[in-house]
Amino acid sequence: MGQDSAHYRSRASHTAQPRAWKRACHQCDLLLTRDHAPVGQRLICPRCGATLHRNMERSVAHTAALSLSGLLLFVPSATLPLLEFSLFSFGAENTLLNGVQALFAAGYLWLASLVLFCSVIAPLGKFLLLAFISWGSAWASLAKPVARALRWYLHLQEWGMLDVYLLGILVALVKMSDLGKMSVEPGLYCFVAMMVVSSAATVSFDAETVWARLARRAAAAGSENDPEAVQ
Amino acid sequence: MNRPARALSHGFWTCLGCRQLVKVSRETRTCLCPRCGARMHGRVDGSIMLTWALTITGALLLIPANILPVMTVIYLGSGDPSTIIGGTLELYHNGLWGIALIVFVASIAVPVMKLVGLVILCLIVQLRLNVAPRQAMRIYRVVNAIGRWSLLDLFMISILVALVDMGAIAEVAAGAGSTAFATVVVVTMFAVRAFDPRLIWDVYEEKMSAVESENTGASHQNHNGERA
Repeated sequence: MGQDSAHYRSRASHTAQPRAWKRACHQCDLLLTRDHAPVGQRLICPRCGATLHRNMERSVAHTAALSLSGLLLFVPSATLPLLEFSLFSFGAENTLLNGVQALFAAGYLWLASLVLFCSVIAPLGKFLLLAFISWGSAWASLAKPVARALRWYLHLQEWGMLDVYLLGILVALVKMSDLGKMSVEPGLYCFVAMMVVSSAATVSFDAETVWARLARRAAAAGSENDPEAVQ
Repeated sequence: MNRPARALSHGFWTCLGCRQLVKVSRETRTCLCPRCGARMHGRVDGSIMLTWALTITGALLLIPANILPVMTVIYLGSGDPSTIIGGTLELYHNGLWGIALIVFVASIAVPVMKLVGLVILCLIVQLRLNVAPRQAMRIYRVVNAIGRWSLLDLFMISILVALVDMGAIAEVAAGAGSTAFATVVVVTMFAVRAFDPRLIWDVYEEKMSAVESENTGASHQNHNGERA
């Protein structure tokens, strides 16, 4: 562990022998000692088949770019209406937040907060944390907050449900179409784009590259506390 | 026989937060990860007990979630509250069988499959069943992956409640069942998180070493028998 991808590449070109690492599979606890996997290849546990490390190329740069586009797309997706429903001469629009508002008003506090958390807070928090992690890891003085952000990201990740929400929108669109006239509004396109960016950010993000980067920064800053426990 | 090494038996713990391998002494019960600061255990503390508790809670909550209505569509002053199954059947009868299938899979099949999968996983570890660990891992991964999709119906309700709100002409109201259903989803998501898949491999390891010692014992006997 503890090798940045770029570092590993340059090392490999100079010396034919890459450094060996030791790690355990997080799903079956198999202890592995191998050479580094080449960048761009996945590392898969030989016993249980879990993906141990998706060794992405330029992971931090991609994550930084994707989280910024996610944050930019969040603004129109949250403010513009997603769907419009009209019946006779009446019409109503749906934004990300007014469904939650209506549920709150009807007294379904638990359901409303769950929907709010999964469709607004978790995706927004995910983008913010990823942006902070990918930019903040460039400063050795931010090592502690970045480590905390990495831990929060792990907890938050599975609660961001933009894809499920999108399917919910589609079901609502079809289900109500025989009752009145349903139409797609511009906000929905921004929402779809945000969903795509969110999944791309999840795939491109590689925590181990960030840890390696932090370790290198700490070493460069001559910090006393040694972040590497095992070599 | 050469069995693969377990990190735990070599005195290593894996941090579940950052996957750092940390060497610990035998007496250590719990510590903080030196790299990311997450609390570490050799195996997740009370994993099976917590998974059982959350799974049983989820199974009990599934009853009100299916009996109570989740949504009422009032159109021109009339409308009946519908349960999850009722809503799916209604979609099917209206000819929207594609949507009906999606809703059926997300809100009926997925929660039931998740609970059944969790019970199977808990039983494998609890009763030390002789199951191929790779099969058990497949169950674990499926249960882990499908978890989020059962929130589909609730998202749809939240969208419709705001969208179809035209006073006397048409209105959609959420029902009490939706709260129970939301709790089922959250509780089962926590149950999957509480389950530690490495326990499956510990059981397998135990079985293998038992078989191995039996074999060596038998060969010793044979050896002695030959001598005698």
